Amino acid sequence: MSKSSFLGADTIALHSGYQPESDHGSRAVPIYQTTSYVFDSVDEASALFNVEQGGHIYSRITNPTVAVLEQRLAALEGGAGAICTASGMSALFVTFFSLCSAGDHIVSAAQIYGSTVTLLKHTLKRFNIDCTFVDINDQDALADAIQDNTKLVFCESIGNPGLAVSNLPAIADTAHLQGIPLVVDATFATPYLNNPIQHGADVVVHSVTKWIGGHGVAIGGVVIDGGNFDWLKSGRFPTLTQPYEPFHGMNFWEEFGPSALAMRIRCESMRDIGAAMTPHNAFLLLQGLETLNLRMQQHVTNAQAMVSWLQEQDAVAWVNHPDIEPDQHTQTLFPKGAGSMLTFGVKGGRSAGAAFINALQLSSNLANVGDSRTLVLHPGSTTHSRLSETDLVAAGISADLIRVSVGIETLKDIKSDFGLGLRAAAKVAAAQIAQMEA
Amino acid sequence: MYIKVDNNSTFVATGGKPFDASLPTVVLIHGSGLDHRGWALQARWFAFHGYSVFAPDLPGHSLSEGDALTSIEAMGSWLVRALDVAGVGDVHLVGHSQGLLVALEAAEILSDRLQSIVAISTGSAIPVNPSLIETAQNDPNLAAQMMLQWGFGNQHQQGASAVPGMQPIGIGQRIMANNPLAIDLAACDAYTTGSKRAQQLADKGCPSCVILAAQDRMTQRSAGFILAQDLGTQAQVISNMGHMLPMEAPKQSLNIMKTFIQSIEK
Repeated sequence: MSKSSFLGADTIALHSGYQPESDHGSRAVPIYQTTSYVFDSVDEASALFNVEQGGHIYSRITNPTVAVLEQRLAALEGGAGAICTASGMSALFVTFFSLCSAGDHIVSAAQIYGSTVTLLKHTLKRFNIDCTFVDINDQDALADAIQDNTKLVFCESIGNPGLAVSNLPAIADTAHLQGIPLVVDATFATPYLNNPIQHGADVVVHSVTKWIGGHGVAIGGVVIDGGNFDWLKSGRFPTLTQPYEPFHGMNFWEEFGPSALAMRIRCESMRDIGAAMTPHNAFLLLQGLETLNLRMQQHVTNAQAMVSWLQEQDAVAWVNHPDIEPDQHTQTLFPKGAGSMLTFGVKGGRSAGAAFINALQLSSNLANVGDSRTLVLHPGSTTHSRLSETDLVAAGISADLIRVSVGIETLKDIKSDFGLGLRAAAKVAAAQIAQMEA
Repeated sequence: MYIKVDNNSTFVATGGKPFDASLPTVVLIHGSGLDHRGWALQARWFAFHGYSVFAPDLPGHSLSEGDALTSIEAMGSWLVRALDVAGVGDVHLVGHSQGLLVALEAAEILSDRLQSIVAISTGSAIPVNPSLIETAQNDPNLAAQMMLQWGFGNQHQQGASAVPGMQPIGIGQRIMANNPLAIDLAACDAYTTGSKRAQQLADKGCPSCVILAAQDRMTQRSAGFILAQDLGTQAQVISNMGHMLPMEAPKQSLNIMKTFIQSIEK
């Protein structure tokens, strides 16, 4: 399926969704820092509330600055529409909330972000929505896990932090064969490296906090409606194909077709849950998006160089990156490289890993990824600390795993910093050996 | 709502309200490869302001079953049969692009039941480049891309949307690539009696309205002005917009449509 714009990705990232002749000729997208919008008349207000015309009512629902980011991201991913939210997690929540009701079921990849595991395994369970976790690239296991009440298959295009690449075309085929849509969190890939809709995904979610923003100053999320899934033919989605009473019995599928899910999220979730992105955050995220393509090239170049360098270091026990001996689907899905996340373990296990992180001077030990700066973290102690030992193994997280989000600094400086860490780790490992020998 | 026309399940959008044949009825007819969703916002306005809306998917398009009809004449007579099934009496016909050609043929059959006709981004003839028809036969996705590239104006090529957050080109692509575009285009190309039908309507004194787009690259504006002349009216041109006016400029096109239709209902 083609993109929803005929401009190149670099141009879309800079121009899509905004033209300066509107407003006052401002070349940059203005920040519409307002809660609400004056109606021309009572009739116009009525038309806006009843979806008889497009426009803005209240910034919890829509905002002009946020709309530019939405339209730009929808164009970059080749979608029919997009809804920005306060965070990546709220983007996931409104997606699940819009497709599932009590008694429904989700099938998810096991190797995903820890907070998403918590949402799927614990939070949604309180609303009687169950989840089965599977090895997402085992198509037999996936097919077996789909039940009569399954509403979606979920995966991350590159899993966090295991970095397994989901075989999107195969997963989509398995899901579609049973009338189920595929929802993909593509945060680690960004629209620069991979467009999941082109590979069979029906809904794409990003935490735009990460590489899309890149600066690490604003939290945000987005849901992109691919527009390809036939919600009626599936027969599983009354939220989209049956009348919705709060809007005079609106039938989202009949009235809006390819943008039915986006319109449902807009009309229901943004109104009732209100996890809206602020206009200022949208502005900041737009600044990042403008240079996404350039930054991602540098991220990937640095990451691949760091993988090679780490593999040569005596203190390193193992290194993981999807581009190390990539399988066929990784090469097909990620011809420009499979992202800038890597994981590795140092000899000496968890304590040596802690020494590595504590010795770093340039890289930051924090709970984020996708910043332009190099970031490191020990997931077992932080982002995935709430998972059981069994869940940690299922998520591909060993006790010694160090997660690295490789930044765009000068490569020699990252190596130099990691050299400090590895020397510290080596001392711990040597002390361990000496202790054992004693 | 779904109705049976020629034994085929036919979807007719009613603008979000139950269809009531006793109300003045506005019939919205989509263009080549499209469906009722192009009228989503206009349909809701008419439905919630004292009109009944009848916006069908032509046979074989989106939610309607059946084989696609291969001539504009067949589409026109089919439309009248669909209106009869729904018990509709008098109508205002609104046609976008190919939809106007269908309206002209339906008008011939409807005779005095026709209250007015509105033409949007169209002419009385729509010749189609044979290579486009061939592309639509062989590669519907590519043909849809080409149509949308020419169909949307400059702002929408750069991601503009009348509905915040949406991508009209992406929406159009999904609809058009899955509908019988090649058959529609061939039907448009073969249709040659539009000018005569328009002049007949003018002779009968049928009220008419022609809305054109300044950046229309699908049907030449000169063809639209000739149509207006045939219908005995003046064309109104919406600036900065392309051929896909119902999706590109729903508010502006609605304002002209409703002002015109309301003036007749008074």
